[in-house]
Amino acid sequence: MAEITFDGVTKIFGDDIRAVDELSLHVDDGEFMVLVGPSGCGKTTALRMLAGLEDITSGSLSIGGTVVNNVLPKDRDVAMVFQNYALYPHMTVAQNMGFALKIRGQSKAEVAKKVGEAAAILRLTEYLDRRPKALSGGQRQRVAMGRAIVRSPQAFLMDEPLSNLDAQLRVEMRLEIARIQRLLGVATVYVTHDQIEAMTMGDRVAVMRGGRLQQCDTPQDLYDHPRNEFVAGFMGSPPMNLLRVGLEANADGIALVLGSQRLDVPTSYCSSHDLPTVDGPGVVFGIRPEDVEVLDASSSDSIMTRVERREALGAEILVHLSLVDAEGDNAVIVNDSGAFVARPTRLVAKMGPRSGVAVGDQIQVRLNREHFHFFDADSGLSLRRNQ
Amino acid sequence: MTLKRRRQLAGVVFALPAIALVVGFIGIPIGQAIYYSFTQWNGLTSTWIGTSTWTQAFHNTNLWTALRNNGLLLLSVPFALAIPLCIAVLLHQRVAGWRIFRSIYFLPTAISWVVLGLVAERFFAYQGTLNSIIHALGFSHVSTNMLGYESEALIALGITFVFTMIGTNTMLFLTGLATLDPSLEEAARIDGAGRWRIFRSITLPHLRRFIQLAFVMTVIALFSALFSLIFVMTGGGPGYATTTMEFLIYETGFNQGDFGTAALYGLILFVITGIVGVVQLRLIGSNE
Repeated sequence: MAEITFDGVTKIFGDDIRAVDELSLHVDDGEFMVLVGPSGCGKTTALRMLAGLEDITSGSLSIGGTVVNNVLPKDRDVAMVFQNYALYPHMTVAQNMGFALKIRGQSKAEVAKKVGEAAAILRLTEYLDRRPKALSGGQRQRVAMGRAIVRSPQAFLMDEPLSNLDAQLRVEMRLEIARIQRLLGVATVYVTHDQIEAMTMGDRVAVMRGGRLQQCDTPQDLYDHPRNEFVAGFMGSPPMNLLRVGLEANADGIALVLGSQRLDVPTSYCSSHDLPTVDGPGVVFGIRPEDVEVLDASSSDSIMTRVERREALGAEILVHLSLVDAEGDNAVIVNDSGAFVARPTRLVAKMGPRSGVAVGDQIQVRLNREHFHFFDADSGLSLRRNQ
Repeated sequence: MTLKRRRQLAGVVFALPAIALVVGFIGIPIGQAIYYSFTQWNGLTSTWIGTSTWTQAFHNTNLWTALRNNGLLLLSVPFALAIPLCIAVLLHQRVAGWRIFRSIYFLPTAISWVVLGLVAERFFAYQGTLNSIIHALGFSHVSTNMLGYESEALIALGITFVFTMIGTNTMLFLTGLATLDPSLEEAARIDGAGRWRIFRSITLPHLRRFIQLAFVMTVIALFSALFSLIFVMTGGGPGYATTTMEFLIYETGFNQGDFGTAALYGLILFVITGIVGVVQLRLIGSNE
């Protein structure tokens, strides 16, 4: 068991493709670290460098305090679960799980004992004599896990191990993997593009984009305090509403300019955030869908919207709202397509399943003043102080 | 007519052309060969002589020599598989210049075996390339004449045969290697396997069916496609040292004008290849 440290690790493919750019990340002993990000963000390359399957262009990578940049995969004492499981098709489940032990010269009895123990943990005992092709997707996934845990390695590396499973099985295996990881207490690096997996499984989550680490925090901190617009938009389903708005001075302090409507910004944000001056370029204002509340009557801190679309999900309804002017026309919100991330001009609100809103309705909504987010309009970075 | 019956009838109707072709081009000639093996036939007229062709043939030492030659040439099959396997594995590692090497190794496949035979004949000849190489290496007192000696001509033929099979079998194994999921090798590397272990435990089991196919194709070629090489390189000699069953049929029929005996030899070769084919099919069929 060991801790893992990426220190300024960079991977360049060919002449100029920077797959991973100056990645610095520390995984504690026993910690479950999830690398998450969209396709091509460098998360799998980072994992493959950790496994020793890709060379490191620059930086240093250590496992258990030892720099492993030039150590062969077989000498790193890590186990990996592949996206397609990579089970040896001509071997039985028991042979697949015992292969690494056999190579290390352990006796038959010892191999059989360890494979038996791992199979019991994974509920695979009755399948030990089967070949991989005679197993279901979930069973194959468990064999791949078994092959990893039977070795008692220093670290587990998992490359999207659940992406080939159906939705129900994925939920089951999510719990199963988390259970086994806690049981064994081995440092784990888990790669996924699924933010629900990231949120539910990780002790900490590292969000990557374009080869660079965007933020690494506990799932709740990541959700509550995204460090930039990308993280805000990536974590959460549906993602945070991000609107580019202007600022205006009023009697109490400042207000957001939403077309012809004005929304007061509580004064506490002026001290906790580095908000720009009122005549500046404006800010990107963020609000989570669950922080948009429908009101029965107009109030001073509400805004007028029109229902454009309604998606019933059973337990909740997602309502797509556009801001309206006093005359009922759609308000113009700046939508700069060349921005750090694409910003919609609409708000999405999560509502209870019994909400009677219909498409075309004009409704008053209140935005939860406790949970406003502000990002720099140019860099996309959060304007919150003391991050 | 019931639907089931109509389907059965349709099956028969669709199979008829194929059945006609098989009967016309395979069944009838085999039947004729059996008939002619009981006759004295000079190509124009045939006289029924009963089983005397059969009894004479089995007392003919040339038949046993040809059979022995076929048997000895089988010893070249492992080389015709192992060498291409090594080449394919090396090319699969993407060694420097692998694209050029791949073309070079496949080149013999695209060249007529007659041409290959001529090249080989010049290579092994007394004043040929092989002796030039030996002399260039400083062994001027050593000279070989493999095609000139009964004891060595078959070896030269076997070497040439292995050479002609390298391209096809290398391509076959490269195709097999291309279907090997690279993550299996990566998984094995992480599991602690070195190169040799990966080859033995992952690559070779994966290639099993491709090796079986290459084996079948090589043996079939050995029994039925060596004629042009022998004709160009040795003419079956010296003596009968490089005469195989296939070449003996030609010799007996067209040089000696004894088509009755040639038909009998054809039947014997047919039975042998049939047995080999069945054994091979069983071998492949045993793999799930």
